[in-house]
Amino acid sequence: MALEGPGSAKAWDRPRWLALGALIAAFLIVCATAYLAPILALFGQRDPSRPGAPVASPATTPPPLDATHRVNVLLLGSDNDQKVQADAVLTQTMIVASIDPGHHQLVLLSIPRDLWVDVPGHGSEKIDAAYRQGGAALARATVEARLRIPIHYYAWVGLGGLVAVIDRMGGVDVDVLHPVLDDTYPDDLRGSGYGYTRVFIPAGPQHLDGDHALQYVRSRHGDLLSDFGRSARQQQVLLALQRRVSGMDLLAEAPALARDMNGHVKTDLDPLRAAQLALYVRALGLKDIQQVYLLPPLVADALSADGQQILVPDWPLIGQRMRQLFGNDLLG
Amino acid sequence: MRLRAAAAAAALLACAACSSQGGARDPGRVVQARPARAAPFSIAGRLYAVKARTLYRFSGTRVTALTHGIAVMDPAISGDGSELAFAQFGDQASTIMLTGSQRMEPRALTPATGPGGRLWAAEPAFAPDGRSLAFLTDRGKGGGPNDLAVWTVDLASRAARPLTRPFAYTGGDSDDVFRPRAEGELLFTTFLYEGDPPAPAARLTWHSLRGGSESYLSPAGERNFQPAPSPDGRFLAFIRARSGGDDLEIVSLPPGPPAPGPPFLTQSATLLQAGVVARPVWAPDGREIAFLMLRGGSYDLYVLKLAVDATGVHPAGPPVALTNGSFFDADSRLAWSP
Repeated sequence: MALEGPGSAKAWDRPRWLALGALIAAFLIVCATAYLAPILALFGQRDPSRPGAPVASPATTPPPLDATHRVNVLLLGSDNDQKVQADAVLTQTMIVASIDPGHHQLVLLSIPRDLWVDVPGHGSEKIDAAYRQGGAALARATVEARLRIPIHYYAWVGLGGLVAVIDRMGGVDVDVLHPVLDDTYPDDLRGSGYGYTRVFIPAGPQHLDGDHALQYVRSRHGDLLSDFGRSARQQQVLLALQRRVSGMDLLAEAPALARDMNGHVKTDLDPLRAAQLALYVRALGLKDIQQVYLLPPLVADALSADGQQILVPDWPLIGQRMRQLFGNDLLG
Repeated sequence: MRLRAAAAAAALLACAACSSQGGARDPGRVVQARPARAAPFSIAGRLYAVKARTLYRFSGTRVTALTHGIAVMDPAISGDGSELAFAQFGDQASTIMLTGSQRMEPRALTPATGPGGRLWAAEPAFAPDGRSLAFLTDRGKGGGPNDLAVWTVDLASRAARPLTRPFAYTGGDSDDVFRPRAEGELLFTTFLYEGDPPAPAARLTWHSLRGGSESYLSPAGERNFQPAPSPDGRFLAFIRARSGGDDLEIVSLPPGPPAPGPPFLTQSATLLQAGVVARPVWAPDGREIAFLMLRGGSYDLYVLKLAVDATGVHPAGPPVALTNGSFFDADSRLAWSP
């Protein structure tokens, strides 16, 4: 006959079980809070509308969470330095990431920053001015109005955010297409923000940390293709990030990534949709990703009346290209 | 007991949420690959590689850090193995340094500034006679585009002059290397834009130091780079970028200037197709090629044994890892001396 000691099962009376349950629940709450707090803080940051600027909402409501509807996210990258009025900056990057689960495909469409368009409420301007004039809402409205692509969500990333995210991921592996030399690269993440620094990135496959990845996607003074070359490099780093994410434990990394991006990212994505899209995109292979640029003859170099170097769109040709890419998902 | 276990599990979960790290991480040291129950791979001669801008030497099974407190890239070793050159990086500039390979006493061979401001210098390569070096620099930019060109510097007089004229706004020429056992033959990569609309391309290029004539060795519209001639000058290894990877290729090099006609590198063979391979360098005896290969987010050192027969050069087995998770700098060259 076994004796029942103080540590045996029978000795665990109801109050002790309750105490254990409460302790475990408390730990779980602490864990959940530690896990979710930075994520919820990140997704709480939306782009404020500006006084006097038209506030546009998506032309269509975001599609449901299923495996058939295309979801389009407008990725905006821009300065976030302190030289200019807070948040009133040009976008250096505009990429429509179109996730099409029905065809298991991701389209990355780079919109050149010098594209000369009608910005709703502001007349003809380069498309990169839309964000400066009216934030993400106006950038979204401009893309929807001119390219007829429904933008369901946007995500704005500042320079520091890109550096932090890439560093958090341990860098990215990129095959640098040409040597990058730039004697007048803006040194606006340090000091007064007005300085310049010299950049040298040798060509060939290599590992880039956040600072060098930013230099690679941002430099344009030494590139014959100027902004087109930069768009190609931006997409290259996006794909490198996608490959990097493929090897990561996103569940474990989410809070740290959210903390790094805090203050550098604004989006109207909710955490659930962001997680869904991230998990979907990271499972895509290279063959599932189509990279698209608006190159000549879809656009042509020109000078605006006030002497700006601009890209004049050939809208019929662009419309034709958009129909090839997006089919019936374009706005009417 | 169960209470403590539950508490520990919860604490671990909380810690994981608070302090997780992303992706593979640089351990900060060279980790030699060690097959199960076997010694690390033994290197014949001395193999040089750069990690975190520190120069390392592999010899036998031993690894030694050769530099401390300075940022270096692109080691190069003279034909007799007595002299070592490398690029040293400072404040927004770099210089070519020269030192004895046995005793590290580096001295600057090129200036860090010129009339146009600060200068970059990289990728030194010894001439076969050991009396001069080729290197890359943006010297002579004069307010124009600061693309890299291949220059040569005399080791005795330190007089320097340009050898190549890069296409403007392409980043310039790179990967300069002399063809061994040949008189004044330089190989390098020309970076340019080709096609309509123009797209980045990289073409292996042959250059005569005697008359300055140049010929493309690789076809248009492709990206072929990082040429590595064999020690006897008969073969050329290089990297070919394909969709989804960078392969190690090889082709035989006929003696003398390339024959007129289509670039002959269309006849190259793939030595290794394994994701991303970079920076090939031949062993002094021509029986092995070392290179960096991307594995799990880290560039590591590998060696491929070669078999040479009447039909050409072939792999004599799978590549062998020298290191594992060591994050070598793939933007820096390797060097291998007797």
